Amino acid sequence: MRCGEEGSGRMNGMLNWLDDRTGYKNLVHETLNEPIPGGAKWKYVWGSTLSFVFMVQVITGFFLWGAYSPSTLTAWESVYYIQNVMSYGWLVRGIHHFAAQAMMILLGLHFMQVIIAGAYKAPREVNFWLGLVLMQIVLGLSLTGYLLPWDQKGYYATKVATNIVGVTPMIGPQLQQLAQGGTSYGHHTLTRFFALHAGILPALMVGFLALHIYVFRRHGITVSKSDQAKPAGTFWPDQVLMDAVACLGVLATILFFTVWKGAELTGPADASEAYSAARPEWYFLFLFRFLKFEEVDKLGLVFGALYVPGAIMGVIALMPFIGKWKLGHGFNVAFTFALLAGATFLTAIALKEDGADKNYQAAVKAAEFEGHRAAELAKEFGIPPTGALSLLKEDPRIQGPKLFARHCSSCHRHNGHNGLEQIVMKEIEENGQKIQVEEPATAADLGEFGSRAWITSLLTNYSQTFAPLKNAGENGEKFLTGEMAEWVKDNSPTLLQPENADSLKGLVEFLAAQGGRRELQPFDPALIAAGREIFKGGKLAQGTLTSNCSDCHAMKPVDGTESLGDGAGPGYPTLTGYAGKQWLQDFVKNPAHESFYGVERNLMPPFEAKLSQKELTLLIDWMIGDYFRSNHVEAGGERKE
Amino acid sequence: MEPSSSLPTDQTTPRRKILAVLGAVGIGAIISLTPLLAGLSFFLDPLLRRRAGFKGGDAEGFLAVTQLSDLPDDGTPLRFVLRANKIDAWNEFKDQSIGTVYLRKMPGNQVIAFNDTCPHLGCKVDYQEASRTFLCPCHASAFQLDGEPMNKIPPRKLDTLESKTDPDGKVWVKYQDFQCGVEKKGAVG
Repeated sequence: MRCGEEGSGRMNGMLNWLDDRTGYKNLVHETLNEPIPGGAKWKYVWGSTLSFVFMVQVITGFFLWGAYSPSTLTAWESVYYIQNVMSYGWLVRGIHHFAAQAMMILLGLHFMQVIIAGAYKAPREVNFWLGLVLMQIVLGLSLTGYLLPWDQKGYYATKVATNIVGVTPMIGPQLQQLAQGGTSYGHHTLTRFFALHAGILPALMVGFLALHIYVFRRHGITVSKSDQAKPAGTFWPDQVLMDAVACLGVLATILFFTVWKGAELTGPADASEAYSAARPEWYFLFLFRFLKFEEVDKLGLVFGALYVPGAIMGVIALMPFIGKWKLGHGFNVAFTFALLAGATFLTAIALKEDGADKNYQAAVKAAEFEGHRAAELAKEFGIPPTGALSLLKEDPRIQGPKLFARHCSSCHRHNGHNGLEQIVMKEIEENGQKIQVEEPATAADLGEFGSRAWITSLLTNYSQTFAPLKNAGENGEKFLTGEMAEWVKDNSPTLLQPENADSLKGLVEFLAAQGGRRELQPFDPALIAAGREIFKGGKLAQGTLTSNCSDCHAMKPVDGTESLGDGAGPGYPTLTGYAGKQWLQDFVKNPAHESFYGVERNLMPPFEAKLSQKELTLLIDWMIGDYFRSNHVEAGGERKE
Repeated sequence: MEPSSSLPTDQTTPRRKILAVLGAVGIGAIISLTPLLAGLSFFLDPLLRRRAGFKGGDAEGFLAVTQLSDLPDDGTPLRFVLRANKIDAWNEFKDQSIGTVYLRKMPGNQVIAFNDTCPHLGCKVDYQEASRTFLCPCHASAFQLDGEPMNKIPPRKLDTLESKTDPDGKVWVKYQDFQCGVEKKGAVG
């Protein structure tokens, strides 16, 4: 016991020594024993939760700072590394990401509590304005933070914001260039945004928050009349307990979203690629939707994006004065609720419209897929010094569908869509109204091109395989009534007889093997051998073909066995290497070549001059499935086997 | 205040207050430690995770350096640059220098490979033709040709690396960095 007494005595001595020199006891006493007229209340917790979330952001932000690298070649890359490789990076970034969103909600709740309680009125006007300054700082923090990962989503959303800055009267372009660190986005946009996000804005936040709390303590909590009659309480421990429980609830929510959803990272920012899923973060969605109204648009961007929000902020700043009038407080409360209702309504419209827009959904899915894909490639190959974007630029899985959509989808489809999982639409006029309808394809759906399923379908159901050609006018009709169509009509009943199932399989296997595609491997040598005989001799298990494949089509088998024939010339496509990398490249370059359709029968434009060799390779490699695949199922999940 | 209402308050307040204090302190600890501990665990990443510094070489991690026939027969050390794909956090840089080694051909075509990093404080040692020794330019550590220290400055001999010679006469070295400044040779990471 003596030891303990001695110890506590020494401890008290030290604390007294410290108190003599700092006066901390008084400060702690004042802080904790602040009287709360009417006792502790749940409705007083919002300010504390905001301070708590800010503290969470400071802590997680400092640790993220230790791993983040602000430049256009390293921002996405370092965030990818934080998120996917470093231990607990997903957790720290997830907390930071969702706490930022929680802050916006808590800001709204705190603001409403202040307005409803009339806490903005004299003598608390100055503190109300300090709160409005803090609100702007928080908005600034979310805006600058959104860009830092340098992914497609943040890049395009922030571009809208800086372009809005650019339309400011008089000084717009100068302001915009100062924010961007130049006339366009680049390294200095990131260094400047990062300095704002991690240095200047947090420092301002700390200063204004200290002032805000100091002035708040000066006037105390605004207590409603009905509560004033109840016994008083103190800040410690009753209100602190309520605050702590509320903060715990906020933290639990943040952690729930971190584990359940995780902070997202779409593909690396690409200035050369249109991003049709561009939307601001959900809490700015109402403003986005507001600017989309035709009436607002007519009045100009300055009006919608600067004057209207400016006027609203102006009314809010004047609320302490408005509140002095007889009906002033009622107006302020009504104005706040009207704002909330308006924002909720606009957000709901925006979400509903996007929910109904299939192409927007596809764009969102594509952006998410690019994020996964970039991470997958980075993990497998490491990121070259030219950045993660170059991984995507060299990736057939990403570029192939884009090239298909741009160059092929005006005639062809890929499993019913344009390659990017978007339905091809066209505008027509009906009863004087312009409406969007699906545009019918005029050439075959190439989603399964060259696969066993494709070859089987071609040999047994030609008219179905090339059905879209009936939309291609007279020449398309010719295709559907040509020799091959007739051959299939004559031979498909024989080929489809149950006794000939293996013969058909053999012929299909033989043809599929010619392209040597990786994704179709392994091939069955016995089936190939059987197929070769049928191709040349036409003899099936039951019956024979009306004419042999080799009567018309040139074929030098891929396994080096003897040539099966030189074909019947232009218009009878050479099947040597059929549907393989080289065959497809040659075909797409010039389908009218005499070894393919020939000038007379060909309908497809040549792409030799339209596609560079690199683009052609990317497109074809995608079509034949020759690209890196990780072991787990593709997130895009668009290839069906 | 009326005694009837203050009496029960007086009785319940101490216990209520203790519970409130315990609750506030407990929950306060949880909510402030959670982000802090998450951040600290993240900060400890370099200790929690093993990372390769380079990618390349054969299945056992040996890198091809030179031909055995290119090494002088008298055992004179020659310095070689080892090249592989260097991994730096998220980046992979193709075909970079990842380190330098001294190779010596010994009788019987045995090869000795030294990591040329001084075990004292990590400068690169240089072979001195005149004295046939390795000398460190930073703190004058000196080593004999066999790597034994010649003064008290280095804590241990020069670090040898595993090497092998394949049937084609190519010399392979397994490159590693070792902890400086300690007596015991231990690989870093």
